[in-house]
Amino acid sequence: MTETAQALRDKTAIVGVGLKMGKYSDNTALELAVQCYQEALDDAGLERGDVDGIIQLAYGYDYDRFLEAVGTDVRYAYQGWSHGRFIAPMLQHAAMAVATGMAKAVAIVHGRRRKAYGQTADAEMWRQGLGPHGESPAYGAMGPVFGAAIAAQRYFHMYGGGNEDLAPIAMAFRKHARLNPNAMRRDPMTREDYLNSRWIIEPLRLFDCCQNNDGGACIIITSAERAKDCKKPPVYISGMQGVHAGRQFHNLTLPGLGVAQQEVYKYKPTREDLYAYQMAGITHKDVDALITYDAFSPLVLFGLERFGFCGPGEAREFVKNGRIELGGELPINTSGGLLSEGHMIGWNLFIEVARQLRHECGERQVKDAEIIQFGSFLGESVIFRR
Amino acid sequence: MSLQAQSKMIDEQGRYLPFIYPEEIPFWEATRQRQLKLQRCSDCHKVWYPIGSNCPHCFSMNWEWAVMSGRGVLHNYVVMHKAWTKWFESRVPYAIVQVELEEGARLTTNLLDCKLADIKIGMPVEACYEDISPEITLLQFRPRKG
Repeated sequence: MTETAQALRDKTAIVGVGLKMGKYSDNTALELAVQCYQEALDDAGLERGDVDGIIQLAYGYDYDRFLEAVGTDVRYAYQGWSHGRFIAPMLQHAAMAVATGMAKAVAIVHGRRRKAYGQTADAEMWRQGLGPHGESPAYGAMGPVFGAAIAAQRYFHMYGGGNEDLAPIAMAFRKHARLNPNAMRRDPMTREDYLNSRWIIEPLRLFDCCQNNDGGACIIITSAERAKDCKKPPVYISGMQGVHAGRQFHNLTLPGLGVAQQEVYKYKPTREDLYAYQMAGITHKDVDALITYDAFSPLVLFGLERFGFCGPGEAREFVKNGRIELGGELPINTSGGLLSEGHMIGWNLFIEVARQLRHECGERQVKDAEIIQFGSFLGESVIFRR
Repeated sequence: MSLQAQSKMIDEQGRYLPFIYPEEIPFWEATRQRQLKLQRCSDCHKVWYPIGSNCPHCFSMNWEWAVMSGRGVLHNYVVMHKAWTKWFESRVPYAIVQVELEEGARLTTNLLDCKLADIKIGMPVEACYEDISPEITLLQFRPRKG
């Protein structure tokens, strides 16, 4: 733990959020981004002139066009490639820019119209040496879901079990979505419904896959000091750690599963793997709810084992009997997650963290929530507290 | 024979073709001759995949194309049920496998001459070849006896 890391604990906060998800055939991605930006400014009680930093994952328009549209000049701008695994690093960059004084307030902005621009995955499957999820079109291996399917299969091979072990995850998140008026998938889901949903790539079914949609999102981050003057209670950023990458960290996989060229071993996090807890001064036992990237249901198993909530191979038992549901020992993805709330490149997961820690979630509120962790299979994490 | 780096991604029937990058040409020239060639490091003698400019194990730039045994075990598989283009409609469900070669590297292909119900992780497999155009032959695997 460096001195700088310790000094950064609780020094920045989320102060405003805006989110739209649904079908917006008559809107442009830019328009959706602007609307969410306005919503987030209003949520924070800030004016556009208070924001002097912008970060976005763009698809269809760029940061400079956005700034022209909203009539603002900033002194910190940064743009990345649209992928769920880059949302935590983006939020971390925003916090670091604010903490180091490079910007006073950074808005993370996103707008998305899928049908207008196609999917990043359509281009990425042609990358040299397989796509980012192991895609190989000439062999009929397409889509991000392929990466999740090969990882799930290896997990079941190493630890036993099978597709039916994913049912409690899909069902728990659907239950949560039914308490979220903004969720996209709100029909009740029984175990039978789950098992009757069609195969996409065996061992994964339709209900193991996220709900993709149009929309936009905005999150505004400023210093703890400024946050006190904003409209809503600050949601402090207490600890963080990055996306782990390389041969042992294939996308949509836990280390050790032997996906692609990964080694095969039973993964257990080391002290170094849990840097965010040390930065925040907590352990996983202090976490009131876990928010994890769930574009596909097996990723929840991987997230749990990555941060030591259970041992290697134990997650498929851990998720049973309501433990990950609201009211359970460790509620996960209380908005319904990407599986049932919707998928705004994952930004909606961070927005749920903010809303839970402000205690504004109504029926789906985690009682007395103080500390919530965003943590996912690639090791990326941000720990928040109210 | 000379194979060009190519960027044609789909044939007239709607089948996806491999996107061949320049440094992968020797691999595809070999499959055309029903041989599996990968890069082998001249310093640490290890083999790797995906194909690249250097040895990822010891970071050496000294390597050569070497003929592999073609033998391996089935390390992983999934069964694709969703038809991504019209061409796949008559082909689903089909298996996509990852084979671990005796030489160590893992490759992603299909499994030929095997019913879906008979696929098992750990089964011995061997390389075989599928011509998909006058210029392109895919490396594939099939069950290996003994």
